[in-house]
Amino acid sequence: MFDLIIRNITNRKVRSALTICGIALGIFAVIVMGAMSENFHQTFERSMSVTSDKIRVFAESGVFGGGLEDDKVSDVLRVAGVKDAYGLLMTTFDEDKMGMTGKQILGVPPEKSSVALNPVELKAGRFLNPGDSYSVVVGNNIKREYGLQEGSKFEIHDKYFTVVGILDYTGSIFDNAVIIPLETAQDLYNVGDSVSYIFAVPDERVDAEMLSKRIELSVKGTSTLSPGELEVQAKQSFMIFSVITISSGLLAAIIGGLCVMNTMLMSVAERTREFGILKAIGAETRDILLLTLGEASLMGLLGGILGILVGVVAVYVMNAWLETTRIVLFLITPRLLIIAMVFALLIGALSGLYPAYRASKMSPMEALKHA
Amino acid sequence: MPEEKMGGLMSAKKSGTDGHNEGQKVIMQVENLSKTYIRGKIPIHALRCACITVRKGEFLAIMGPSGSGKSTLLALIGTLEEATDGKVILDGTDLTSVPEKLLPRVRREKIGFIFQHYNLIPTLSALENVELAMRFSGVPKKERKERAKSLLEDLGLGDRLNHRPSELSGGEQQRVSIARALANKPALILADEPTGEVDSKTRDSIVRTFKELSEKGQTILVVTHDPEVAKECSRVLRITDGLIKDN
Repeated sequence: MFDLIIRNITNRKVRSALTICGIALGIFAVIVMGAMSENFHQTFERSMSVTSDKIRVFAESGVFGGGLEDDKVSDVLRVAGVKDAYGLLMTTFDEDKMGMTGKQILGVPPEKSSVALNPVELKAGRFLNPGDSYSVVVGNNIKREYGLQEGSKFEIHDKYFTVVGILDYTGSIFDNAVIIPLETAQDLYNVGDSVSYIFAVPDERVDAEMLSKRIELSVKGTSTLSPGELEVQAKQSFMIFSVITISSGLLAAIIGGLCVMNTMLMSVAERTREFGILKAIGAETRDILLLTLGEASLMGLLGGILGILVGVVAVYVMNAWLETTRIVLFLITPRLLIIAMVFALLIGALSGLYPAYRASKMSPMEALKHA
Repeated sequence: MPEEKMGGLMSAKKSGTDGHNEGQKVIMQVENLSKTYIRGKIPIHALRCACITVRKGEFLAIMGPSGSGKSTLLALIGTLEEATDGKVILDGTDLTSVPEKLLPRVRREKIGFIFQHYNLIPTLSALENVELAMRFSGVPKKERKERAKSLLEDLGLGDRLNHRPSELSGGEQQRVSIARALANKPALILADEPTGEVDSKTRDSIVRTFKELSEKGQTILVVTHDPEVAKECSRVLRITDGLIKDN
């Protein structure tokens, strides 16, 4: 039966090619949009794993509202169950690019830098030490972009810093982090004693969610985000992002599916007499279904393969181009490839379902009378 | 075959008596077969109470004017349409009581169709067209290829095996169609105007083939307009306004 399916496809070369291209276009969109979503997902997952044990304490007015002074750290530390606490100043590295490159300055107390970055490991050098002022630890992407080594000079806000440490690649936000002492960061950006938020590390065997509520009640003018809340919030944002990206891909793929359905309906209409002949010589309903559905599914499969190939090449090219700007937007994962392939097959098969049903239900006599 | 002789051999009575195959076993019995179509609210009786008995190896012609019901009779016997009433018993099976789901199997195993317009699959070669009938019967690939080749060679198409229908003459296409009908060794071959599209020379050749097959024991029922075809048959039934009449 497979040879008949192949023959039906190859006998209508132009039409089949156009249909396959229609599906390929849809799957291409699924791959590109999906790769964007996968990259975002991976960064989110890794970033979460790095900071998931800590409670974030913000000013009541929010992280961008300011007003959270460094002295609140001692208030947080006084709350029972808090093992450690430290303030962090977070700002964009290249303000002229509106933070689009994802590079961030992280001002951390030098003595807390290893704790703040835990479990990120060093690729070279050391974390910040007490007494450091114009020392910097850089993420892996920053090191690659600026060609930095331990001991290199690195200019931030017209000041030169010495690179004392380079972080290992994490696939998280820390790859684009520039970590400098908190006080230096506060001076550099002229924010006084302000911090963006305070990280509170819970004692072992202390419920982080409960502790988060206690901090909010005990330290006036603050609100908190527990690891659980952060995860929920981040997952919600991730879901919205995924829905937007994946649905635009799916939309394109559905258009590809309609393309298959149109082709198959035309093909069935043209071959009505042929189906009548097949039935007259003893073809079963399932033979007709198999022929028609097989044809649609095969076109789905071929469209899927083509779409994936073009999508992977496009993602590779775009990532290579974006590498110069340090933005990695796309990530192809085995999961994405499987989803795209299954989707292509499903589109083909589902779009072929109605035409196949029509073909199989024809009365042989009526079909034979068809001109 | 001379007309007088044919007259002696023919039987067109509703009772279904037959001629020179009298000694042979009855292969098909059609009993009170009727077909009524409803067009709007008007019933149209395409076939009324047809009774035919056909013996193995008969070469039987059904003649009649256009719209007389001869193609309907063929479609009903061939299970391509459902009868309003009556029975068709072919090779011991009552086709009218076979569930719809099992009809393809009946068509595969018991009936071979030959159409006026050949009805070959245009994208397949002569060999593949003949093989196709066996494919649905589950005949192994090697066997069906050999059988298809042998049938086509027997019909003088040994040098046309890989030609597509568009590369064959009308007569050649009809012979491919005959080979396809014979592929599953059916009990009965139903031919609907098989010579309607060919010249007289090709017609004679096709009729000769039918006669040879009939002599070998193949039962053939031909619907035709052509008296030249009918006179070569062992028996002729005439049908008018859905009624089979005595010849």
